[in-house]
Amino acid sequence: MIDAIKNLLNEAELVLGWTATGAGGVAVPARFQTATEAEEAVFNSTCVHNLAVHLPRLKEMVVGIVAKPCDQRSVVELIAEHEVDADRVKVIEVDCQSMVDVKAVWRRFGFGATIEDNGPMLRINDEEVERNGLLLNKCHSCEDRNPALYDEIAAMSEKRGGAAGAGYHHLREQFDAMNIAERRAFWEEQYTRCIRCYACREACPMCYCRDVCIMQTREPHWIGGEVNAREAEMMQLIRVNHLAGRCTGCGECERACPMGIPLMLLMEEQNQIVEEMFGYRAGTDPEKKPPLLTFDIKADTWNKKNE
Amino acid sequence: MKFIAQSNITELLRALAAQAEVWAPRGLRGSGGAVMFERWRDDDQLDLEHFTSLSAKDLILPRTEKLFGFSYVFGGAPTGDASGSAPTGCLPGGRETIEIESAEPAPRTVLFGSRACDAKALTVLDALFNPPEGEAYGDPQYVGRRSTLSVITVACTTCDAACFCSSFENGTAEKAGSDLLLYPVEGGFLAEAVTDKGREIMSASGAGSGLVLFEESDQQLPKLAVTTIIDGLEGLEKQLPVIFEDLDFWQAITANCTSCGFCTYSCPTCHCFDIHDEMRGDREGERLRSWDACMFYLYTQETSGHNPRPTLAHRYRNRINHKFSYYPANQGKILCTGCGRCIRGCPVGLDIRAVLKAAADRAAADGKASDQAPGVNVNENDGQ
Repeated sequence: MIDAIKNLLNEAELVLGWTATGAGGVAVPARFQTATEAEEAVFNSTCVHNLAVHLPRLKEMVVGIVAKPCDQRSVVELIAEHEVDADRVKVIEVDCQSMVDVKAVWRRFGFGATIEDNGPMLRINDEEVERNGLLLNKCHSCEDRNPALYDEIAAMSEKRGGAAGAGYHHLREQFDAMNIAERRAFWEEQYTRCIRCYACREACPMCYCRDVCIMQTREPHWIGGEVNAREAEMMQLIRVNHLAGRCTGCGECERACPMGIPLMLLMEEQNQIVEEMFGYRAGTDPEKKPPLLTFDIKADTWNKKNE
Repeated sequence: MKFIAQSNITELLRALAAQAEVWAPRGLRGSGGAVMFERWRDDDQLDLEHFTSLSAKDLILPRTEKLFGFSYVFGGAPTGDASGSAPTGCLPGGRETIEIESAEPAPRTVLFGSRACDAKALTVLDALFNPPEGEAYGDPQYVGRRSTLSVITVACTTCDAACFCSSFENGTAEKAGSDLLLYPVEGGFLAEAVTDKGREIMSASGAGSGLVLFEESDQQLPKLAVTTIIDGLEGLEKQLPVIFEDLDFWQAITANCTSCGFCTYSCPTCHCFDIHDEMRGDREGERLRSWDACMFYLYTQETSGHNPRPTLAHRYRNRINHKFSYYPANQGKILCTGCGRCIRGCPVGLDIRAVLKAAADRAAADGKASDQAPGVNVNENDGQ
């Protein structure tokens, strides 16, 4: 990993990666510009962040990025949308063995508990714990283990294994069993917690409108300024729709949400619909045009079963 | 000292709830397991173990509050409108008045299960919104809520790695802002009234049910937690201006920040707000005051198109300066109580303690402030 970053610094001005300087020694995002800085680089099961979120802000330079297979889908989608220039992004592929839900660990073991990889287990504060019970949701259903693009291979074990057992959101089953009225009540309760910090948007690599986002603008005034469940719901539904055919399912919105709102329930559902209707999986082919950017109702990719 | 048994806490809350809105930390269902101060209902499970995701400032500075309602009243014959259709706006010569509807007065409120850092934050905010009579203008909405709020604090016998309240004078033993302090001991809590409101709660609460909730006890006060300590926070007031124009420093510090507003919204002392009108149709509306965050680009966007804080580095610099330099200079208090929420909840793991230390080091390195104040040191202590 460290060598790969040093190598890449020959052609990239900076490399986005991680250091282990967070609370309890967990990984936090870092930028490496010199070989000395690169010595601090790590990759472990706490490298949860999708660093592709920084690419639209670094358009003017050649940027290296350490990217998990799922993060690479964001890079691909950004290239497909011409938001970043493929020639200016250099990807270091890492062998991801699934990521730990750091917040879940901290809820159980206390904030700042140390988290170490130990094969199929985790060592948390010197206690051996099953890895599978503490993974990020998205890792349970990971289908991205074959990376879409890379320039450097930092580490590649024989077994590209992630978590065992496919599944979706941990609330999926519970949610699907609800009737409409119960779903309504479920979301109302979730949105009551929203404080409009916009962490969901800011953590999303595809939410690059940023400072002119409809969530905050007065012109047009589609969403009121109140911090309440009604506005929060409108906000999220607009955001979800704006990400139709663009969301790569990286799960950063839900991971970043400090209030624990299960946003990926919405995203997952929509991603499935887009795949069924348009045969499109965002972030898998930089040459493909995202379906809602074509404005072509006769597009071949449109599955017309609902017509 | 008086003692209240754990089993009587629900009785206490019931007695309080008969006369006031009671707010308490409550664990939530669903995703994420966020713990929040919420309106207490009889069957709720309290969660006094985990730190709440948000502070209790919602009770004195609600995330959205109504300042007043208004409605336009149209009357008289429309003039200058040949079609004779109903007036739909400010017609020339037409009569128009605005009716104002005042906001509701603040209800009596009790906050149960606050921590010392949350309670102290109220006194930090008082310096701005609720100054001593005659010194400056108070904020009527804030003053109204503050005067009807009673705070029951549970003293911390444990803390986590994000806590740093021991960096301040009284640490976990801070009493400011609390009306009643509860110290966790075997089987319940020792109770100490700090104010008249606290004494009233202790004497009146059992009256309705006939139960005596607070009894005499000879148990000893528990040992309170000691958190990570950062020395030299007071020195930042003079040190931060030295590196104000050092934008390279602020850019490096904020390189990984994504500019969300969680640090400000979870902070018990951040208090910036936006005032905005929301219309219901074209005749009725409300003037509201809602939380706003200095981390947002639109926070300082001016109508002209100019933005004095165009980048994240500018915005974060302001956030740190406001907390540790401007507010201490203007209001005499540091705008931070060491609760650690901004550290626990940051999506990218930014630690304000590391930022403060780096800022003090940078100021010292610039050579201009080295003789003015000592640097900031972080003494790790995971707490007991």
